[in-house]
Formats: sequence, structure tokens, C-alpha cells
Amino acid sequence: MIAVLIITLVVVLIGAAGYLVVRSRPRQDSGMSSFRRHIDALSPEARREVQDRNKRQREDEG
Amino acid sequence: MARDLAIDLGTANTLVYMKGKGIVLNEPSVIALNRQTGEVLATGREAWQMIGRTPGYIVAVRPLRGGAITDFEITERMIRLLLQRVGVSRFTRPKVVICVPSAITEVERRAVTDAARRAGAADAQLIEQPMAAAIGADLPIDEPVGNMVIDIGGGTSETAVISLGGIVALEAVRVGSFDIDAAIQSYVRREHGIAVGERTAEEVKVAIGSAAPMEEENQAEVRGRDLMTGLPKTVVLTPEEIRLAIDDVVSSIVSSVVRCLAKAPPELAQDFLVRGMYLVGGGGLLRGLADRIERETQVPVKMSNVPLEAVVLGAGHCIEHYDALKTMFMGARR
Repeated sequence: MIAVLIITLVVVLIGAAGYLVVRSRPRQDSGMSSFRRHIDALSPEARREVQDRNKRQREDEG
Repeated sequence: MARDLAIDLGTANTLVYMKGKGIVLNEPSVIALNRQTGEVLATGREAWQMIGRTPGYIVAVRPLRGGAITDFEITERMIRLLLQRVGVSRFTRPKVVICVPSAITEVERRAVTDAARRAGAADAQLIEQPMAAAIGADLPIDEPVGNMVIDIGGGTSETAVISLGGIVALEAVRVGSFDIDAAIQSYVRREHGIAVGERTAEEVKVAIGSAAPMEEENQAEVRGRDLMTGLPKTVVLTPEEIRLAIDDVVSSIVSSVVRCLAKAPPELAQDFLVRGMYLVGGGGLLRGLADRIERETQVPVKMSNVPLEAVVLGAGHCIEHYDALKTMFMGARR
């Protein structure tokens, strides 16, 4: 009974360790997608909202 | 729930952008205190009007010099009051992005973030002023082309080359429009023997100051205190005199632009000839400055459509797209 418990525990620990190792490895596309999001957020389309809001504010203030 | 904020904590003016709302505050970075009790008597425009005109027990100060905090406690109180004025309470703690000069030291950065956190921010991140200015001035910094921005503030002047969302070359000097005012004060004292205040010097700069000869030029009458007799006295200043008085400061700014151009990679340098450089910041409004930079660098200089708001609008954009742009914050790149 104890042997079964120990084996189960060891299997669970090995599985958990394996999962953590896989998760900690950087995904090959994470740098690319993060850079893409960064560049997209700086595009003129993304910036239009802030620019338009400021333009409206300036017009309202005369 | 507080709305997140972007703050352009400038030596001269402080602007606050609220997420989803736009610019909600634009006031001079000045605070007036009771010297005896330490109580805050006024901030912003009201405090600015008190500069040089207060009785002995009141002191009206600018807690930032050269873009850095000179008095931590007063800056914290000023930020706290600013946050209160835009609706931040003890229970609503917003995320804050603060624009700072790129040349500030690690200790100075820490002072700014600590002051903001103690004043009520849940999280305070910093972004370099030229980067924020380039975003706010609507330059195509997402493209692989050279964008050059010159940000001349009250205490610092920064020039940056930006491409593909990042800074490629940067040059900063702790010289700005306050140094121009100080140069005028010092010139009038030395050459005309009268003492004038900070605000009068600024008025002279706005009225007749220029970095290069202009087509239409006027003289200005200046009133101050005669250093010999102690009596009020009026003198007439000419634009040539003011150009001479401020030449060292202007030359220092132009030299830093030249140094930044020299640091830029050749592939990007050729873009400047076609696209030009963009001037932002209150100091950039000095007449003839764009012409002088253009003459000395042989690169076209254009004025931004929003010279005074570009920095806070850029930081405001970062607060609107916080997750996508957080890699741009100064702490994230260390």
C-alpha cells in the first residue's frame, strides 16, 4: 500500500516538474507576437483615437 | 474605480491625461506653501502668479529642476493634490504613466515613482519624454524609417532618433527654456544694472526673444530694480541684445541635436533629409530656433501641431494600450 502511494507521489512530482519545465521554456512565437502587438499599438490607426479626442477638446475650448 | 492616468511632470508645466477622457489638467508645476506651518496655499496657475510676489512667510516654488525632483516632499504633495483634483481618492488608486527626461539618474527615477506611489498611484511606470513626444506628435514610429524628434522643455532638451517603436539614438542636455530666462535675467543685470524677476525675463523672451534674426523685430521696455539706487527703473531691450544674451544656451541645444544626428545609423540618417526633424515642447516655440537648427544641420525642421501637448498625448496613448506598450516603460527594459 505504502509502495503504491510512494510510486503515485513520485509520478505526480515528475509530471509536475515536467509541466513546469515545459511552461518555463519561452515559446518560439512569444517574442514575435509581443513585438507585433507593440508595433500594431503604435500604428496611426491605433493612435487615431487619442489624436481625435485631443482635436475635439481643442475645438471645444475654441 | 479610478481611471488610469498619464502625467507629463515637466519642470515648467504639468499635464494630466485620463484614460478614455483626454487631457484633464494643464497647469504650471508650481506650489505655494506657508513657510511656517508647511501648509499648501495654492498649486498650479494660482501659485505661479505668486512667484516673486509673496510676503516672507509664503514661498512659491517649482519642485522640479532639469526634469528632476529637487524637493521630494513637496513634489509628493504636489502630485497628491494633482491626483485629488482629477478625482483620485484614497479608495481609487489608478495606474500612472509618468514622462521623465531620459537623462535622469536611477535615483531620480526612483524618486519620481516613489512620489507617485505615495501620492496614491497603485502602480507608477516611467516613459522617456522624447519617446512619448514622438507618439504624441503622430510620427510614423511603427515603420522602419528614421524619425527624429527634438523636445525642448523647461529644464531639459532631448533629441531622439526613433524607428520601429524604439529609440535608436538619444542625446540629452540639462538645458531648457528656464536657462534662456536665466540668461536674460543675468544679461539685464550685467549690462543694464537692473534686477528683473523670473516672470519678467520670460515675458521678454516671449515678446522679443529669438534664436536667429527675424524679418519683423520690435524692442521691449523692461521694468526692474536699479541695483545701484534700489529704485524702479525702465530700460529698452533690443532683439539683438537678447539673441546675444541667450546664444550660449541656444548653441548648447543646437550642438546636442548635431551630436544626436552624428550618432544615428547611416541608413536612418538619409531619412531625415526627406522627412525632416520634428520640434516639440514649449522651448521649441522660441522664434527662429527651427531656422537656426535647420541652418546648422542642413536638415529640414518642422514644428509639431501639438508642441505643448505631444508628450502627455504620447503617454496617454501608452495608458490606453497599456499591455501592448508596457515594454516601452523604462523599468521594463532594465
